[in-house]
Amino acid sequence: MARDKAREDYIAPIRRLLVGMIVLALIALFVVWRIDSPRVERLRAQAIDTFVPSFEWAMAPITGAANLVSDFQSYQQLRAQNGDLRRELQQMKAWREAALQLEQENAKLRDLNNVSLDPQLTFITGVVITDSGSPFRQSVLVNVGARDGIVDGWPAMDGIGLVGRIAGVGRETSRVLLLTDTSSRIPVIIQPSGQRAILAGDNTIAPPIEFLENTALVRPGDRVVSSGDGGVFPADLLVGQVVLGTDERLRVRLAADYERLEFLRVLRAQPNELIGDPNGLVGPEGEFFGPAVPNGLNPASLTSNEVGDG
Amino acid sequence: MAERVDSRTWTMRAVYIALAFVLIVVQLVPLDMRPAGWAGPDLLLAVTLVWIARRPVVVTAPMVAGVFLMADLFFMRPPGLWAALVVILTEMIRRRNSEFRNLPFVAEWGTIAGGIIMMTLLNLIILTLLAVPRASLGLTLMEMMMTILVYPPIVLLAYFFFGIGRPAPGETGRKGQLL
Repeated sequence: MARDKAREDYIAPIRRLLVGMIVLALIALFVVWRIDSPRVERLRAQAIDTFVPSFEWAMAPITGAANLVSDFQSYQQLRAQNGDLRRELQQMKAWREAALQLEQENAKLRDLNNVSLDPQLTFITGVVITDSGSPFRQSVLVNVGARDGIVDGWPAMDGIGLVGRIAGVGRETSRVLLLTDTSSRIPVIIQPSGQRAILAGDNTIAPPIEFLENTALVRPGDRVVSSGDGGVFPADLLVGQVVLGTDERLRVRLAADYERLEFLRVLRAQPNELIGDPNGLVGPEGEFFGPAVPNGLNPASLTSNEVGDG
Repeated sequence: MAERVDSRTWTMRAVYIALAFVLIVVQLVPLDMRPAGWAGPDLLLAVTLVWIARRPVVVTAPMVAGVFLMADLFFMRPPGLWAALVVILTEMIRRRNSEFRNLPFVAEWGTIAGGIIMMTLLNLIILTLLAVPRASLGLTLMEMMMTILVYPPIVLLAYFFFGIGRPAPGETGRKGQLL
């Protein structure tokens, strides 16, 4: 006796209907995502926010095992590391002296200018919880979210340089899109030539520079910092150094340490004020001191066109 | 005789869900944030296909849809597209399940390989047509080849660790039903 034929006749069409409905629901979700992406992305952020923090207990053994393996490997190289560290320490001491002198000079110059540092750039520190999970997307999840005041678009740095920007905020977690992701575009300035360009990620560790006007003025080793173009990103955040890639393209070696991303600083960068009402800029209406004017004509309410033509 | 689902099936379902959970979590652990130049196999897909080809009663369509929709949401893929394609593929494999028992393993592997290639190509075409930003062609094809190549090792592992093998002719489950 093979299968119960009578039962199959009842169950099979219902099953096919169920599977068809599931497939249609999934395709509908994809179409909705394509049409109205922010709404579905918010749903995705909420789903991740609900589930992922509870996975941390499951990730602990894997992280522990990985740490064990890397510790064992570094134990083998302890002696060589020791020598390297001593040399690096000497270099760091020299740099510290230079930094102290520069700090004093900076303080004196600022005194001269009476310039105050931008108070908008305070930061929130967060811990990296998860990776993006696939080799095609470069993003990480940090454990600070809307309840800590995180807003979409804020830049994220590690101790040294720019790491990415916030793209997606949940209640307790938020997603940082790394500079190496294919959809990451940052406006940058290359010093000392002062040229503006775009840093476009392309899934490699050294993202290329695009829209550079004069490549002859740029050479490998130049410093790359974020320009404040468009007001979407604060200016003067260190991004990295220019290098010449093997494909003869100018790329940027990022200053941030992507191998050991544990703690991120999310900078509170307020967006530029939006100017919606131009009248308020020109001056307040009403107060006008001058000779008597004819009835019904208030010079303060004249537009600049009429005043200019008179 | 009428029941196809017994207590062993529910145990194996729990095992499948746990395995899917472990596979997703392992990929999420933040070990090294540098972008890799190569793509590994899609283990979740390979495991699901092994389970479907051998014991289709264990993995139901809603379970597959749920697991792959969660994976889509966590791994930042366009939600729903890959899950829908996987559900369609698993349904087609499920229908061929009884034929696979009589054919040599290579035929089963070849059918699965053809299914994976079709699914990857459909995914590529739909994403390109709708102008959705997607990964590079080389990485996607590398992942597809690795998934096809990793299928036989997963079959062996499933047999030795979880006892998931082709049902022998006349093999019965706990309630006496034919598998």
